Amino acid sequence: MSVAAQIDDVSFAHSSVDAPALAHVSLSLPAGGIVALLGPSGAGKTTLLTLLDGRLRDWRGRVSVLGGSLDPDYPPPRALRPDTGFVFQEFALVERSTVLRNVFNGRLGRMSPLRAFLGSPTERDIQVARSALDDCGISDLADRRVDSLSGGQRQRVAIARCLAQEPRLILADEPVSNLDPTRAAEILTLLTEAARARGATVLFSSHQPELARRFAQRIVGMRDGRIAFDVPVSDLSEDAAADLYRDAAQMSGTGLKVVT
Amino acid sequence: MRSRGFGSFISAVVIAGVVLWSFVTTDVEMTRLAAAGPRIAEFLGRMFPPDPSVMDEIVRGSAETLRIAVIGTLGAILLSVPLGLLASGTMAPPAIHRPVRTVLAVIRAIPLILVAMLMVGAVGLGPLPGIIAVAFHATGMLAKFYAEAIDGVSPAPLAALESAGAGPLARLRHAIWPQMAPVVARDTIFRFELNLRESLILGIVGAGGIGFYIQTYVRSFQYDKAASATLAVVVMVVAIEAFNVILRRRFS
Repeated sequence: MSVAAQIDDVSFAHSSVDAPALAHVSLSLPAGGIVALLGPSGAGKTTLLTLLDGRLRDWRGRVSVLGGSLDPDYPPPRALRPDTGFVFQEFALVERSTVLRNVFNGRLGRMSPLRAFLGSPTERDIQVARSALDDCGISDLADRRVDSLSGGQRQRVAIARCLAQEPRLILADEPVSNLDPTRAAEILTLLTEAARARGATVLFSSHQPELARRFAQRIVGMRDGRIAFDVPVSDLSEDAAADLYRDAAQMSGTGLKVVT
Repeated sequence: MRSRGFGSFISAVVIAGVVLWSFVTTDVEMTRLAAAGPRIAEFLGRMFPPDPSVMDEIVRGSAETLRIAVIGTLGAILLSVPLGLLASGTMAPPAIHRPVRTVLAVIRAIPLILVAMLMVGAVGLGPLPGIIAVAFHATGMLAKFYAEAIDGVSPAPLAALESAGAGPLARLRHAIWPQMAPVVARDTIFRFELNLRESLILGIVGAGGIGFYIQTYVRSFQYDKAASATLAVVVMVVAIEAFNVILRRRFS
């Protein structure tokens, strides 16, 4: 398969907001690539990622993910869900559970319903979870409760959970915007290397152009629910990236705050 | 700001009015209170020393009260699990959770002793009406607590498990339950403590337990025996409170 996901002329509006969150968006993700989604807050990045994860309803257009087309009225079949992994900005971990439990949560979609309910992993589940923990450098934290971890450690757990799904497409929604620059670079290195090793496609969103340049092969700029540009990293001009934020900066009147 | 100042002025006037009305319309005769002084002293005197010869009855009565509280709480838990689910905004639509919440509020508003009296009338004397009354009364509060525990669950981990392909039961087990378990445990222990305290007096209306003995001793002027029973009540309340503190520390 040469294309991991294909979006054709998709529009979507939140029921409570007038402006569309996505307006006639078309996008093609080549399999195995690492693509960054760049843009200010409210550009539609999260909505686009949620759409590809099959968790958005009532949109218009055509979407196919990993060879199956999505239906705007129904969630995708459970069997297909684990193929698409999602990394959340706020980690979305079960705080009172252990690191290992949270990583096993990523396996639930691959287990039989009974095993999933009982939380009794098979040998293979354990093996996959172990290697995910190893790749994220948190094997020694396996028995710690998540609420005792730092932000960087939490995002490692969340990525390990995502890897435990054995996803072929990894969607990461601002995975490092809650972390300091050093931590952010570590986490993105970890994520992109683990994805490469597994042959998975990555689409991560960010509002930091320098991170997008450093870790992605291609950069998609979004503004006001539209695709502003879609270029290889080498073709991205400073102006194009800055343009994404110019309007937002003017509107909020605090340019510095938006960019940093 | 002005309207808020006006509002608090109105509240002050209303509160003052209610207090004044209570004093004026009640026959509070301070002279009677003064005259009763020696009699109150005599009452207290007759309670000493507490009569230890009724130990058997007290132990039997206390054990029955404990059983009423335990079985009553168990009944309340069994009723509160389905009702709590139905009363939660996340699990049930407004058409269901609103009326269920109203019913729970009505149940909470009926005093336990009243339910117990009705149940004694319905099923006769003994611990059974007490158990039914405790289970019924406690459900009004416990089901509400359970619903709030469900609604207090953070939705982010749920979305993560949905994304990973976990079914509804697996999500309930691995994302909702770990978040609400400590709250449910704490609320249930708290309600058990209340049930034990409240069921101590159920015997007065014939619904079993140590209250029955206290009432009998007082009515037959055996104040020294009543004092022993009262001491047993105090010991039980202090014990359950200490037990509760220990458990709460574990579930934080």
